[in-house]
Amino acid sequence: MRLNDLILLGFSNLWNTKLRTILTTLGVVIGIGALSSMVSFGTGMEKNITETFKENELFTSLHVTPGKIDLEGLSEGDISGLIGSVGSSRTILDDSVLKKIRRIEEVEIAYPEFTFEAKIRLFDKEQEISAAGIPFEMKHYPPFNRIRFGSFFEHDSSAVVLVRWETLKRMKILVEDPEDPVRLNFQEEDQNYIILPPDSILGKPIYLKTAVMDYSSMMLNPMQLLGGNPRLPVSEKTSVFIIGGIFKRESQFSNTQVKGDVILPFRTAKKIPKLGITNIWDAIGSGSDQDGYGSIYVRVKNVENMDGVIKELKEEMGLNVFAIADQLKEIKQGFLILDGILGAIGTIALIVAGLGIVNTMVMSILERTREIGIMKAIGGSEKQIMWIFFVEAGTIGFLGAIFGLILGWLVTVLANQVANTKFLPAGDPAVNFFYFPVWLILGAVAFSIIVSLTAGLYPAIRAAGIDPVKALRHD
Amino acid sequence: MLHFGLILFIIIFFGYNLKRITILQIVVIIQIKDLVKIYRKGEIEISAVDHLSFSVKKGTFLSIVGRSGSGKSTLLNLVGGLDTPTSGSIVFDGKDISGLSRSELAFHRRYRVGMIFQSFNLIYSRNALDNVILAMIFSGISKKDRKERAIRLLKQVGLGDRIFHRPDELSGGETQRVAIARALANDPEVILADEPTGNLDSLTAAEIMDLLIELNQKLGKTVLMITHEQQMAQKISHRVIRLLDGKVVDDIMTDKINEIE
Repeated sequence: MRLNDLILLGFSNLWNTKLRTILTTLGVVIGIGALSSMVSFGTGMEKNITETFKENELFTSLHVTPGKIDLEGLSEGDISGLIGSVGSSRTILDDSVLKKIRRIEEVEIAYPEFTFEAKIRLFDKEQEISAAGIPFEMKHYPPFNRIRFGSFFEHDSSAVVLVRWETLKRMKILVEDPEDPVRLNFQEEDQNYIILPPDSILGKPIYLKTAVMDYSSMMLNPMQLLGGNPRLPVSEKTSVFIIGGIFKRESQFSNTQVKGDVILPFRTAKKIPKLGITNIWDAIGSGSDQDGYGSIYVRVKNVENMDGVIKELKEEMGLNVFAIADQLKEIKQGFLILDGILGAIGTIALIVAGLGIVNTMVMSILERTREIGIMKAIGGSEKQIMWIFFVEAGTIGFLGAIFGLILGWLVTVLANQVANTKFLPAGDPAVNFFYFPVWLILGAVAFSIIVSLTAGLYPAIRAAGIDPVKALRHD
Repeated sequence: MLHFGLILFIIIFFGYNLKRITILQIVVIIQIKDLVKIYRKGEIEISAVDHLSFSVKKGTFLSIVGRSGSGKSTLLNLVGGLDTPTSGSIVFDGKDISGLSRSELAFHRRYRVGMIFQSFNLIYSRNALDNVILAMIFSGISKKDRKERAIRLLKQVGLGDRIFHRPDELSGGETQRVAIARALANDPEVILADEPTGNLDSLTAAEIMDLLIELNQKLGKTVLMITHEQQMAQKISHRVIRLLDGKVVDDIMTDKINEIE
């Protein structure tokens, strides 16, 4: 007996009991629908994050910080020694180090990361932000190449700055995008947003307020620090810039750590008077290397070069290196757990469907006892009869998987629609929360067939073992 | 001289016997020897077939008669390989089938015998054509060949125009014709018929009987038929065996016996 004959026979047997077949298959359809839609949520989230990493080239990104101090190896008593030795032992991130990094063949780009806290004022609204100084050549690299309105600044000393769409949103300013209308979600509808066309923001002045060390007040009246009117020797300094461009809206999966809320030309940013302390290293090392950079951003040409470059920076140049991609590993691990939980729920549904198959098949065998007897009388072997029932079970599994995937897909399309229109924060670009990779589709089909065949195993063996003489007497 | 004579005798004797054995193998299709089938019903043992021995020549139309419970159907099931004997042997075409494995028995049922039942035993959800085809699906005949053959067989039994009808759309006689076509599907040497006309009116029964005689005479099939109608059996068969309590009580060769080659 050939396999296609078996499949044909199985199909026609199922066709003869349409209603029961449909109901049994429906169980599998719901099981696979639940399983596939839930797992596709996990994979969709993972895909969004991975894609964001790729888009921003984070897989090839490194942060280099000065020195190479093994914090984990230090005991409490060493702290004082550490502070004393810091200035001398760590490598300062100065221009010579930058040049050296840039000279590494596999390095595509390296620039100092220059961030500081500031306040901006626009349309009489104030907002605390982090500002970043970026060299002009970053114009061509993500995420800085994603200007939606306006254009990048012309040179490193320009007075033109770039703002993120999300920064403006935080200030309750929504920039309209004719191609991709902004929609408020149900929580945001009550809030007072101003909706403005991009033209009314581009070219407008923006005020940047920074904190500066007020040496004069300290020098003139040192006793103020101790007296009845204590005041930090800090004052505010305001600089004015022109808004040159607004970045594209980012999805919530986008990683924000590579850029500030407001992007300034590198030299302009350096010249802005401000407190030099933006991180702990600046605080510790401010005495000895005020000219050094806080950190350097390095992008490697190929992912394959990552390890080599990390090794060179760490071992030969004595720098601290932090690969952003390492974060992804942790995130992925989290998603693996999420997938597991979602998959387990779906699997339970499928197992229930499998029990439905067992039930249906056992009933079917009871009803078809005589038919099995006839098949044996005209020469059907046990193996052949077992296969007929096996194929019937497998067919239920296969059909269940196909329609289950369709159901799962429809559910995700609907859920995606609702999530995107009702729950997504205003301005977030539409996101596909669900993703059906090929492995999920094939895996769902295979899993469904395996569950069905397992469910069909006992009925098939039982059918094969029927005594033909008794079966022929059966009514 | 004596030695020579002895050797000559041995050669002739064994030569003769050898020839006889060969002839037996060709002529005798079924040889039943000391066949016993005991059914157990709780504590009680029932000998459905009790030390039965007889052989059937190829091409014989053998009728088996006897009251119900005399072991007729059990005997037929044993010959047909649906059941296995408690002891004894059934040599079928030179091969003992009493000790065959279940898959070998399936092979026996598929290729060696064709069974016809009183209650027709067609699959009711399938039409006449598919019922005949099913037997050939098990024997792995290609789709095209088995369809052609099934149509030819159905025409042969006089059902050429009703091949797409399901059993419930056919009369009793027509249904039994489908069953006969199915029994012929894999071209077996022996047809086993268990009261094939028991559910039919006398006119239809006669038609079915004619068909079975035709199988025997034109196609040379050996037919073992169980029947209640003793007179009819005497008229059409070569040989009539009467069973009682699992034993042969009567074994009559009719006048027709000489017709077998």
